Amino acid sequence: MTSLMPLTTVFPGLVWLMAALALVQGLRRAALWRVGAAAPVAWLDGLAKLPKRYLVDVHHVVARDAYASRMHAVVAGGLLAASILTALAILPPIAGFRPYWFVVALAFGVTAVGSLLVGARRYPSKQKRLSAGRFQILPFLLVAYAVGGTATALLLAFGIGGVFAPLALALAAAGGLGLAFEVRHGPMRHAAAGALHLVAHPRPGRFEGRPDTALQPLDLDAPRLGSEMPADFTWNRLLSYDACVSCGRCEIACPAFAAGQPLNPKRLIQDLVAGLSPAEPAYAGNPYPGGRQAQGERGALAGLIGPDARIHPDTLWSCTTCRACVEECPMMIEHVDAVVSLRRHQTLERGALPDKAVGPVTELRQSGDPGGRPLSARTDFAAGVDLPVMAERGGAEILLWLGEGAYDLRYGRSLRALIRLLREAGVDFAVLGAEERDTGDLARRLGDEATFQALARENIATLAKYRFERIVTADPHALHALRNEYPAMGGRYTLAHHTAFLLELIRAGKLNPARLPDLSVTYHDPCYLARYNGETEAPRAVLDAIGVSRSEMARSGKRAMCCGGGGGAPVSDIPGERRIPDIRMAQAAETGAGIVAVACPSCTAMLEGVTGRHAEIRDIAELLLQAVEAGR
Amino acid sequence: MKIVVLLSAGRHPVSGAPVLPRMEAQAIRIAAALGEAVGLHAGPDAEAVREALGLGLTHIEHIAVADGLDPVPALAARLAAMAPDLVLAGRRGQGGPESGIVPYALAEALDLLLIPDVVAVSGGPDTLTLDQSLGRGALRRVAVRGPVLATVHPDAAAPLAYAFGKARRGTIELVGAAAKATDVPEAVVEERPYRRRPKLVKGAPTGGSAAERLKAATGEGGSATKGRLLVEPDPEEAAREILAHLRQIGVLADASKSAK
Repeated sequence: MTSLMPLTTVFPGLVWLMAALALVQGLRRAALWRVGAAAPVAWLDGLAKLPKRYLVDVHHVVARDAYASRMHAVVAGGLLAASILTALAILPPIAGFRPYWFVVALAFGVTAVGSLLVGARRYPSKQKRLSAGRFQILPFLLVAYAVGGTATALLLAFGIGGVFAPLALALAAAGGLGLAFEVRHGPMRHAAAGALHLVAHPRPGRFEGRPDTALQPLDLDAPRLGSEMPADFTWNRLLSYDACVSCGRCEIACPAFAAGQPLNPKRLIQDLVAGLSPAEPAYAGNPYPGGRQAQGERGALAGLIGPDARIHPDTLWSCTTCRACVEECPMMIEHVDAVVSLRRHQTLERGALPDKAVGPVTELRQSGDPGGRPLSARTDFAAGVDLPVMAERGGAEILLWLGEGAYDLRYGRSLRALIRLLREAGVDFAVLGAEERDTGDLARRLGDEATFQALARENIATLAKYRFERIVTADPHALHALRNEYPAMGGRYTLAHHTAFLLELIRAGKLNPARLPDLSVTYHDPCYLARYNGETEAPRAVLDAIGVSRSEMARSGKRAMCCGGGGGAPVSDIPGERRIPDIRMAQAAETGAGIVAVACPSCTAMLEGVTGRHAEIRDIAELLLQAVEAGR
Repeated sequence: MKIVVLLSAGRHPVSGAPVLPRMEAQAIRIAAALGEAVGLHAGPDAEAVREALGLGLTHIEHIAVADGLDPVPALAARLAAMAPDLVLAGRRGQGGPESGIVPYALAEALDLLLIPDVVAVSGGPDTLTLDQSLGRGALRRVAVRGPVLATVHPDAAAPLAYAFGKARRGTIELVGAAAKATDVPEAVVEERPYRRRPKLVKGAPTGGSAAERLKAATGEGGSATKGRLLVEPDPEEAAREILAHLRQIGVLADASKSAK
């Protein structure tokens, strides 16, 4: 060895060779992203914020699994430190300084410990949510590189040569070059693509501490609407799917997966990854429930959706758009955007909505209500209640947006409670009455962007006629559409969910509820309030104000499980082995609470529809009204 | 096979918004499954039927006919020129100026066979098999030759989903205008505002149990169940049955009496 070239040059040279190999492998993969559509990316801003995004936002998610967090700190930190330190030793003054090699050996030693932590997750038996395949080789590559590196660095530190040096170096080379090779198809891709994804993220707003959850409006004049094939996604979305590390946190969180409907978010993202490249190794994680294994065509121009394609249409329509997968994804992948983009193509270009959803979407387009009911009947629930209408008043401090739930007899009870509370507090409010159309939420989640935009334009025109300060609504889906999605259509309003508004009234002393300590309540967070709008505290504060004994479900707040009522899933009605609301009510039953408090018409309908439940379903407004009446 | 779907400007039964009548959307689904279909609309504005382009048609021919003019001569002339194998229409209008009489007027003008209340069509182009709804789920299969005009029953398969992208790509072609001189037909029907009336049940027993009255009302005990149903009978036997029935109701003289 020394006869050809000194070890102090060969060892750093190995790291440089690894870097070069990783770069080549990375560029080979990156060439595929170029088929994607253009996307605006703030490169400098993203690069500057990369450390913060990684150390704060990504860490926040990864740390929910403390083991994974520590494992990454040790193995990734060690790997980076050891490799960089070794690479620097290409400079002769450093290479000749023996104590330096002790530091390098220490870094490699830390990496070796981390490698064992990586291995412990997979051997002797793999954690269920993790994927096998190439990921099973990863611990061996890491151990080889780390142990080989430690040994080489120690030999250099002590100045020992001989037969051990080539052996140690060979071990390090096998592991290190193997890791670099894996940047294209294997586990190490998540490190390279993940870092780039954090820089070029399609939703940079989510790193700024605000929920960036509004679907991006679709240009209805575009030559092709929605995504049919990988090339229809923007390049940074393709990049984001490559960041997927197959950790399976999304499939644990997914309500459709839990219900045995044919959706597994991890498999979906991996299908988007594999659809892009025929060379991608086979998927080695849990399949879509139902055991479908169709492979379909691959390539940038291959159709992704179809009965014989990679992704079955039922997979798309199973999604409740609850964003639980997005919330859990440590790689910050936007699964719901992918689902909606694929749905848009199905609906707008192919008219391939699921059979049961055709009726509601058609009625929404033709009559402004998914049930085809007269708009004037929306206020029928309030028969006998004095309900001021905007058209007669011209304006009011608060515009009460009723939403689709108003047609439902059960939910009418919640709205009547809310109206009585508003009256009690002396709030100046009015409703749109027959002028209120559906916000178009259902159409938009089902991919019918044209109907959503038409309804949004009509609603914005109606709202422009009246004076009001704020819109209050009891429907988180309407809240999300009006607050987050109408601005892109030209309508900007100040929104408050009824739970937040009622809390304001209590704090301002306008409502004086008595305490109801005999009630045991657990609160079910609506996805569109908690995850889409980040509001988890106000409903709990209202419950605390009325002094109920409150317990939390295992999954609550931003990590709560969906009731199954979002994203058009109830109208698509894709069969599964279980029902999502049944699962959720079983979780609620674990708390032993007698009342499940809700704050959304969809949740009310879904959870109250569960058979054999023992808990009562009560809206926050109903509970507050009970407390206010008890306080009189 | 050449198929023409007659399109009319309808209104949504609840919102009153301009929409394509549902039965015409169902007709499009039937037509699209059979072969190349063309829409045909006579009216002042083709925008009223643009929706049909998102429901399975790729091309609509429009004949400009001013409001209040009779569209039948213009439609008949165009259909004669197109010579389709099958013409589909809704069985009645939906809120628009179309009253449901146009298919009958066209069949008369073109001397076409009209099969009403069709729920499914298969075969073609020479022989068509049509499933006709007789109400209450009963179906009759009809096989016909040659060009035929059929009206679609609401029991036919539900319309396809509207595809915005397809509607965007579809084309509407102005193929002519009705001569202004066309006489407006005299009002053959009297128009009155709709008034709800109690439903009279013919031959309903005044007394009897609720079940008997229900039976009478739903027709299960009526004349439909009194006859004998023969499935593919022997011609001799069928002839005997028909003669027996005609004698029974007094159309033919009794055989034993005439023999005397």
